Amino acid sequence: MALDFQASVMWESVPLLLGGVHLTIIITLGGLAIGFVLGTATGLAKTARGRLPRAVADIYVEAIRGTPLIVQVMFLYFGVPLATGMRIPPVTAGIIAIAVNSGAYIAEIVRGAIESIDVGQSEAGRSIGLTRMQTMLYVVWPQAFRRMIPPLGNQFIISLKDTSLLVVIGVGELTRQGQEIIAVNFRAFEVWLTVAVMYLVMTLSIARVLRVYERRLNARFGR
Amino acid sequence: MKTCETPMIEIRNLHKTFGKNEVLRGIDLTVCPGEVVVIIGPSGSGKSTALRCINRLEEITSGKVIVDGHDLYDPATDINYVRTEAGMVFQQFNLFPHMCVLDNVTLGPIRVRRTPRAEADRLGLALLEKVGLADKAAAYPDQLSGGQKQRVAIARSLAMQPKVLLFDEPTSALDPELVGEVLEVMRALALEGMTMVIVTHEMGFAREVADRVIFIDQGRIQEQGPPDEFFSAPKNPRLREFLGRVRHA
Ligand SMILES: Nc1ncnc2c1ncn2[C@@H]1O[C@H](COP(=O)(O)OP(=O)(O)OP(=O)(O)O)[C@@H](O)[C@H]1O
Ligand SMILES: [Mg+2]
Repeated sequence: MALDFQASVMWESVPLLLGGVHLTIIITLGGLAIGFVLGTATGLAKTARGRLPRAVADIYVEAIRGTPLIVQVMFLYFGVPLATGMRIPPVTAGIIAIAVNSGAYIAEIVRGAIESIDVGQSEAGRSIGLTRMQTMLYVVWPQAFRRMIPPLGNQFIISLKDTSLLVVIGVGELTRQGQEIIAVNFRAFEVWLTVAVMYLVMTLSIARVLRVYERRLNARFGR
Repeated sequence: MKTCETPMIEIRNLHKTFGKNEVLRGIDLTVCPGEVVVIIGPSGSGKSTALRCINRLEEITSGKVIVDGHDLYDPATDINYVRTEAGMVFQQFNLFPHMCVLDNVTLGPIRVRRTPRAEADRLGLALLEKVGLADKAAAYPDQLSGGQKQRVAIARSLAMQPKVLLFDEPTSALDPELVGEVLEVMRALALEGMTMVIVTHEMGFAREVADRVIFIDQGRIQEQGPPDEFFSAPKNPRLREFLGRVRHA
């Protein structure tokens, strides 16, 4: 059976899909912003001297990396309210899920970048009297952060694509919008193609923006 | 050897082990204000470890290290403060690559001493002038030669106005033709009366600048004395052997 491809269906689905794009972006940005803070804190805890922060960080990271995101999402949305008696709105649940999930991966990125900086750098910092915190802030972090940008870009792209899993809790993001249009017009080929192109435009934009940012940082650091 | 009522550095029965490896086996050393002490010894004898204990870059196993009256390993001591009194110059320079030369020098004054930036910049430029690099203030470390990097590192240490400067093989990572410019700066500091402890293989420099030379081997000070005696009439057989090897290297 030949496919009767109708380009007009693609154009017609764009306005509705853009609503989904909007929500996908909000959830991605919100989730990643919180995930970055969470991941940085966890990554720093992993390099801490104390045993307790390291243990807490390890448990968090292992638990998240060892379970599927879709299970985490459903646990958060359907499971947790049964324990707390408090329902979480789907979009909020989506942002929390992306935050907690990306935070675990970002923690590993942060830890790896910090540990890749030569110990001589912190020794030099400590030798001029900087505290451990100041040494991290002014000496180690700026150098480590530069090394984080490529893997962070990767994680941003993964998290953006992960938002499509939120379809299981009924968040009206891009994938969900696509499903709903198809439920009405049955044009699976055209609509999923349009959805795919929209994801691609977003992921390519992230990669692009980060490359430019990295180049600007490097230029400022004189290399 | 200088004698003094209030030593700048006092190390008493310092022991340091890494795991099962006993690296320092009882070091006793007193350094007077203005004294220049050069430490020599074979690789792995514990020279760097001993030096690093003088600003607590290492934790010690037992003993006492007192710098300008502050007991470094007393928990009540503000270690961040004491570290500003003993500057460290590293073999690998360890300049901050993401900062320009002037910012490398002013980071300590601005963040630790809370010196206003304008004043810190003035101080930093004066120090760069002193090490002959005023024209490099805006350059980044990657754009400098090894000798220039090490001179910036010295200026960075001086910016904290330390009472003691510690040098760990400051010229070992340099091309031979760049060694002189760094030794030149160190010689000038010695003449100004800076208290310095220097680990180096530059025997000519030791002979010329040191007030006292110390030979460390197997975690102990095996011999020490003023450079003339030390080099012309070494008593310890291992020192004799070591000097013979270094001379013929
Ligand atoms: N962080 C560390 N952990 C474990 N062992 C160490 C550490 N630092 C130094 N050591 C060991 O301590 C011993 C003395 O090292 P140290 O660096 O003080 O020697 P050194 O006299 O400075 O030698 P070199 O001339 O090669 O610099 C060596 O056996 C070394 O392997
Ligand atoms: Mg050494």
